Amino acid sequence: MPEMLPKFSTSVKLKYVKLGYQYLVNHIVTFLIIPIMAAVSIKILKLGPEEILTIWNSVHFDIVQILCSSFLVIFIATVYFMSKPRSIYLVDYACYKPPIMCRVPFSTFMEHSRLNLKDNPKSVEFQMRILERSGLGEETSLPPEIHCIPPNPTMEAARNEAEIVIFSAIDSLMQKTRIKPKDIDILIVNCSLFSPTPSLSAMVVNKYKLRSNIKSFNLSGMGCSAGLISIDLARDVLQVHPNSNALIVSTEIITPNYYQGSERAMLLPNCLFRMGGAAILLSNKRGDRNRAKYKLVHVVRTHKGGDDKAYKCVYEQEDPQGKVGINLSKDLMIIAGEALKSNITTIGPLVLPASEQLLFLFTLIGRKIFNPKWKPYIPDFKQAFEHFCIHAGGRAVIDELQRNLQLSAEHVEASRMTLHRFGNTSSSSLWYELNYIEAKGRMKKGDRIWQIAFGSGFKCNSAIWKCNRRIKTPTDGPWQDCIDRYPVHIPEIVKL
Amino acid sequence: MAEVSLTCKRTVISTKPVQPGKFCPLSALDRLMERNYLHIVFYYQSTVERNPGELTKKLREAVAEMLSAFPIITGRLFKTPEGHWTIKCNDAGMRMVEARAKGSVEKWLQNLDREKELQLVHWEEMFHKPYFWSTFYVKVTEFEEGGIAIGLSCTHLLSDPPCATMLIKAWADMTLGGKMITPPLFHPLPGRRPGNTNTNHEPYVELIDYYKLSIEKPAPVFNTKQVTIILAFDDEMVRRCITRIAPVESSRTPFEALAALFWVVVSKVKGTKGGLTNMSICLDMRNVLGLDRGFFGNCMVYNKVNGDGIEGNELCKAANGIKEVVRKMDADGIMDLIEWLKERNYQDLPWMNGYDLICVNLEAVDSYSAIFEDNARPLRVSYYIEPAVGEGQILIMPPPAGSRNTFSRVVTITLPEDEVNKLLEDALIQEFSPTILMGLNKMHSSTSL
Repeated sequence: MPEMLPKFSTSVKLKYVKLGYQYLVNHIVTFLIIPIMAAVSIKILKLGPEEILTIWNSVHFDIVQILCSSFLVIFIATVYFMSKPRSIYLVDYACYKPPIMCRVPFSTFMEHSRLNLKDNPKSVEFQMRILERSGLGEETSLPPEIHCIPPNPTMEAARNEAEIVIFSAIDSLMQKTRIKPKDIDILIVNCSLFSPTPSLSAMVVNKYKLRSNIKSFNLSGMGCSAGLISIDLARDVLQVHPNSNALIVSTEIITPNYYQGSERAMLLPNCLFRMGGAAILLSNKRGDRNRAKYKLVHVVRTHKGGDDKAYKCVYEQEDPQGKVGINLSKDLMIIAGEALKSNITTIGPLVLPASEQLLFLFTLIGRKIFNPKWKPYIPDFKQAFEHFCIHAGGRAVIDELQRNLQLSAEHVEASRMTLHRFGNTSSSSLWYELNYIEAKGRMKKGDRIWQIAFGSGFKCNSAIWKCNRRIKTPTDGPWQDCIDRYPVHIPEIVKL
Repeated sequence: MAEVSLTCKRTVISTKPVQPGKFCPLSALDRLMERNYLHIVFYYQSTVERNPGELTKKLREAVAEMLSAFPIITGRLFKTPEGHWTIKCNDAGMRMVEARAKGSVEKWLQNLDREKELQLVHWEEMFHKPYFWSTFYVKVTEFEEGGIAIGLSCTHLLSDPPCATMLIKAWADMTLGGKMITPPLFHPLPGRRPGNTNTNHEPYVELIDYYKLSIEKPAPVFNTKQVTIILAFDDEMVRRCITRIAPVESSRTPFEALAALFWVVVSKVKGTKGGLTNMSICLDMRNVLGLDRGFFGNCMVYNKVNGDGIEGNELCKAANGIKEVVRKMDADGIMDLIEWLKERNYQDLPWMNGYDLICVNLEAVDSYSAIFEDNARPLRVSYYIEPAVGEGQILIMPPPAGSRNTFSRVVTITLPEDEVNKLLEDALIQEFSPTILMGLNKMHSSTSL
């Protein structure tokens, strides 16, 4: 007993020391200015009012001097405001909710796997083991053509899926934001694995009869982090075009990419990828400042493609039978960890409070100069952000990030529950997670959100948002009918 | 001639997930029927102009909703430690096949035979590992020039014809109005009501012996190919038949009259000596046992009718024999059988349809109220109890037109081909001149004899 108490009391003392240190460093400017201002005011008050008047009269104000100084001030102010990047706001977003008929319970998935891969029991076993540990639930959805035995992925079916997912999401978004199609200035569609001609963005322009001078972009092949790449692109384009808005559609079309062979490394995506899509409206208009939900603070992109191993770790190729699939290498988690470290190193200085940055700097200097054996200091990102949206790439990704960033279960709850309810919906999963946080009523004005996504290449992209206004718990959206059931406990292994 | 072309085969999932760990055990009557399976085909006309595949999609959505109430169908067969079949409700779904056919449904119905009709159903024999084998198969065939056929195949382990019809009706209700009028009930067969035991009650030995014999018999020999014809007897014809059998009309039911008629004629056609051919009747015991209409499971019981010493043409005696057996199959008798089956705990599988001529009473099956679209009653409903390996089958079914009190009936007869020919030319049949709804191949459509 006595041994326990000192430990507890020391840890409490340590906590207060840490808090005091953080408060001091983060508000250092305030702590410095207050004494100075106090001293100056006391000095001024010591002088009598006549003395103040004398000092005032002794200062000569030449007209030229006054004009020059004011021009200088105005000039500097103009240069400052002109070169400040435009604020980008996220007016609203909408996620696609797949029809409940498209859901795929574990038993159906395994049965189809056995029926389609009759001659490869080892591959079927492998899929079962993956599914058991995947963290998915019984309500994730696959498109109707994949429910067929054998799956029937025609191009027409793929286009159908694209139309249903993208148009539903856009219709929902237009209803929420009350925007008209002709008001959309920029359109960006990202879908990694399905890229028909004409492009999906042309399909959207055609369906909604968008303006002929619209700036449309179609990003394909960029993996699960393409959603944040689209946001970054939209931000850059919105810098050039004042008073505009941008519609971004992030989705992944499953129909044409369901691997039909039996190579184990290539069967993994079949177990995890599911139907989903999101539409986002960004704007740089002054008028949207009040009604926008979020403000975009930073986007940080890290590309590790220069390293051969990183480049090849998510690789689309043909298997020995000629069937095309995506090969995930065994080093995926290690490479993801390194990409994350790289990304964090860039983000840290942008978002971390001064206290954390100083600590990190001290430990870095210490490791370099004094003792390389010191543990590297992992900055506490929980101080920089209230909410975390980690791409629901798989249970392993979420576990790894939770460990690396020392996040609590509640921080990663949105990611885990999105993986359970919707599976890995690729680039749109970040939006389902954000919607979960809103649906749970946890989003408050001023909250900072970190969206982090990994993708083939190997890329690690982050976006940082700040909640712009009070957000009412949404009554529509993909979580509407099931939010009360969540969070659920997801067992390590689900026995099939 | 590939008239029916397959579009795709898929698995339909219920809209509501099933809670894990649920099991639906099978009753003693269910387990007897393992070797048998059913095919049922419902034919409908088109009521509105639709794009190809549109109605199939609507049906698919409705079936997904309907399956939420039938977790036993989306589950899979699983053997308990005692070696009995049970259904593990693992939410795996039901197979659905979509197909297209040339021509219109009316034209199809005009020159139909058993083989053609069976193109409208999809069936897969039980897998070696039945845990991945769907117990129910639905096939929806859209006719290019109008009309649709819905074929249901299922293992007899889970459902008998009235139960399968209830399933289709639930599907129809869901498509038409979005909810089921008779939701299904899953519970074991009722036990004997306590306090109602008559201490002098003799167990129904004949019924138990019949089942005992069926279980112990060796596998039947699959010899001649059988064909199926469908005859329609209208109200007046059936009444005449009844009058022929008994002077007082109300003492004989249409089933008894028609069963007796066909018993006599088939015996003649088979050339049985020393009495009528071996025949068993199969009756629906739901009313007798007081079961609700929504009861899901097997509840049809077979029993032998004694034809020894009855000469051909002695319709009266035949009908009497049948009536006697029907009367004896009361609640107590069936309870005796169920209790005996539970006690015996056999492992061998009988061929319930594999030996005698079987005469099945499907009069009360409510097939014509399965309405998927407004004002579109089924044009026809066909039943097949497979495999057809015994002496033959006679199914007595309700008529297509609405009225419930009419005595008209539709009779499906399955016999070897040469016997069918002789049957159609038989004087007794000719006397009642039924309409041929489905004749032998090459025969002209809808002729009266």
